[in-house]
Amino acid sequence: MERPQTRRTPLSGGVEKRMSKSRSYRLSLRSCVSSRLGLTPGWTTRRLNSKRKAPKSQNITNQVSPDHLALLVKHEWQLSYVSPLYHFRHTQLKSYARQLSAFIAAEKQQGLAVEVGIQDSFKVSFSGVQGLAVADDDPETVLIQVHTKPVFAQQDDPLKLVWSGWLTCCNGSPEYLHSLPKDFTCLPLFGSSGAQNLTSLVKSWFQKNFDCSFGPLEINHTSLEWLVALWTNCNTETNIQNLKMLWTLPVEPPLQVTYVVEGNDAWDLWSSLQQRSEGDGGEEAGWIGIEEVTAFMQGLKNHFYRHFRLELSAGNLSQVSTSLGSAKCNGKIKVSNSRYMITTLTLLTECALLKMPV
Amino acid sequence: MEKSTKCFLQQLVRRTPTRMLKATLEKWDRLTPHQRQSVDFTLPKWVITQTLVTICEENGLTMKHITELEMMHVIENPNQGTWYSFQLLDPEDDAHSVELMLFKEQFKTHLRELMRNVSIKIKKHTDEAVWIRIAWGSGFSRPNHLKPTYVVHYLQSPYVFVRNLTSKLKPLLMQSLTLSTRHQAIKDANLSGPKLMAIRDLLMKQYQQSFPTNDASPLAKENQPGPIVNEQAEARASRRRMASEAFGKGAVPQLQSAVYKLETKYRDPSNRTMTERDEPFRCVVKYSSSNILESFRHCASAGIASTPVTPLLSSILLKGRNYFVITDNAPAAASQTRQADL
Repeated sequence: MERPQTRRTPLSGGVEKRMSKSRSYRLSLRSCVSSRLGLTPGWTTRRLNSKRKAPKSQNITNQVSPDHLALLVKHEWQLSYVSPLYHFRHTQLKSYARQLSAFIAAEKQQGLAVEVGIQDSFKVSFSGVQGLAVADDDPETVLIQVHTKPVFAQQDDPLKLVWSGWLTCCNGSPEYLHSLPKDFTCLPLFGSSGAQNLTSLVKSWFQKNFDCSFGPLEINHTSLEWLVALWTNCNTETNIQNLKMLWTLPVEPPLQVTYVVEGNDAWDLWSSLQQRSEGDGGEEAGWIGIEEVTAFMQGLKNHFYRHFRLELSAGNLSQVSTSLGSAKCNGKIKVSNSRYMITTLTLLTECALLKMPV
Repeated sequence: MEKSTKCFLQQLVRRTPTRMLKATLEKWDRLTPHQRQSVDFTLPKWVITQTLVTICEENGLTMKHITELEMMHVIENPNQGTWYSFQLLDPEDDAHSVELMLFKEQFKTHLRELMRNVSIKIKKHTDEAVWIRIAWGSGFSRPNHLKPTYVVHYLQSPYVFVRNLTSKLKPLLMQSLTLSTRHQAIKDANLSGPKLMAIRDLLMKQYQQSFPTNDASPLAKENQPGPIVNEQAEARASRRRMASEAFGKGAVPQLQSAVYKLETKYRDPSNRTMTERDEPFRCVVKYSSSNILESFRHCASAGIASTPVTPLLSSILLKGRNYFVITDNAPAAASQTRQADL
C-alpha cells in the first residue's frame, strides 16, 4: 500500500495542515498572506515536499513509446509553469494541431518574425504520450511538435523538426487536482525546445484558447540540491560518473566555481550520511528527507572550505549535472537517462504547482 | 605563386579580422604604398582575399614572406589559443652568456637534427622576447604551415611559452630548447592561459607586490566625525591588507582560470564512515572569471574567503602557477606535470 505523504514542516508543532483548494482564489490568497503573517494557524502556504521517495530506476521503455522517449532525452528543455487549462480535451488533439498550424501561419503573415525560409509552412502535430502520467489523477502528457514543410517538397521528403514542447503532470498533488472545478485540466509543467519566437507563438495560442497563463519556472537552489541528492542516490544502479556543481560568487568580476566530485566518492559520502539517520527503522527506508539533502550539501561544502577557506554559501548554485542529466537555475533541464525521467518530472511538477499563482 | 602558398595566404586572410589585417599590412614592408592603398577594406572578405593574392603574385612573394606576415600578426595579437609555460632548469656554466645569434644558430641546428622537414623562423621582438615559429613536417612530407607552433623565450630568463604543440612533437622541441639555451632540463611550469602577457607578468613577477608588514599604514587613519565610530574598520583594513598580500595590489595580471585537482581524504570528525575510508575524496575545482586574481582579492576583502588566505589560493600569484594537484602528503607543493595534450 502506498504510504500517504506526510508533510513534516520543521518549524510548526504537530498541527496537521490541510491544503484544500476548494475556496475561491481571493480567499486562498488571503489565507496565504495571513499564514505568512502567522495569524491563522489552520492554513498553510504550500511547501516543497520535505520528504521524497528515493527513486528506483524505472524502466519506462515499456510504457512510453521509444520515439517519444528518444525525443525527451535528446533535448535540453526550457521550463515554464502553466495554470490549469479550461476545456482542454485529449480527444481533440488533431483539431488542436490544425488550429495551431493555422495560427502560426496567420501570425507569420502578419510579419511576426519566424526565421525559417519564407516559403516554408509549418506542420504541427499534437500527440498524447502515454506512460508519463503515473498517478491515477494525472492527466495524460501532451507532446507538440512543429515540423517545417518546404513548399516544393515531395510527398516523401522527411520533415525537419524545428520546435517541440510538452505539457505534463507527473505525480501532481491529488488534493490540488481534486479541488479543481470540473472543466479544468491541470498540466502544470511545460517544456520547450526550439526557436524562441515559436515558443511564444505556441504559448499565446494556448493562452487564447484555454484561458491559461504561462510563467517562467526557475529551479531554485533547494530543488537543485534535491536533484543533486536524488541523482547521487542512483549511483548504485546507474553510474553517475561525476557530480558537477557550478556556483557563482558575487564579487567583481564574478567568479565562477566549478566543483566536480568523482561519482563513487560522492556516493560514499551520501551513503555515510544515510546510515547515520537510519535509527528510525524500516518504515523510513526508501524515503529521503530534506535533512539528509542539506547534510550532504553541507558535507561537500565543508570539504571545499577545508581546502580553500572560501564560503560557497555566499554564492548562488546555478547548475548541477551528472551523467543522468543537468539542471540550470534559469529553468533549463536535460534528462539524459530515461530511467529517471519520472522522478525528475515529479520534482519539477511540484515546483510548477508551487509557482502557480492560483 | 605555388598552390600551397596561395591556400595559406587565403586562409590567413580569412581567419584574420579586417581591422587587424589592415594594421598588420601597414607594418609589412613587402607591399608598395600604392599597392597597400589599392586594397579596399570595406569590401567583403573574399574580395579582399582575391586582391591580396593578386598583389602578392605580382610581387613574386613566396611562402617565406607570407609566414612573415602571419608571424607579425601573431606577435601583435598573441591572445588566441592557449599558451603553456615551461621553466628551464639546471643551467650550465655558460648559460648566462647565450646571446641571440648563438641561440638562433644552436636552436635551428638541434631541431633540424631531430626532425628533417621543419621550417623555423626566429625573430626578436622589441621587449627582449625571442619569438620562434615552427612549421612541422615529417620524414616524408613538407612542413605544414597551417598549424604552426609558436614559442616565446626571454633570453637570460628560464621561461618559455608555447602555443599549439602536439604531445608527439613536444620532446623534440623541449630537447632543442634545453640544448640551445645551455640548460639540463625543462619542466612544465603549470601555468597556462589565453593571454600571453598575463602569464608572462605572473611568472616573471611583473606586477605590483604587497609585502607583509607588521605596522598597518599609520598615515591612513580615517577622519571620522565625532561619536560615529566604524566598528569593523580594523577588521576590514586587515582583510584588505591580507587580500593584497595574497593577490597583489593594483592591476594584476589577467589570469582567467585556475584548476585544482584534489586527492585528499575527506575529513570530518563527526562522520566516522568517511574518516575511516582510505581512499581519497577525488574532486576537481575550477575557478574562472575574466580576472581571477581580482575576484579572489575581492573575495578576501569582502570576507567570502577567510583571511589569512589559504596557501592554496595565494600560490597562484606567489608561485606563478594555475594548475595544482593537491594530495595529503604535500598540499601546495605538488608539482606533478599535467597530463593534458598541449
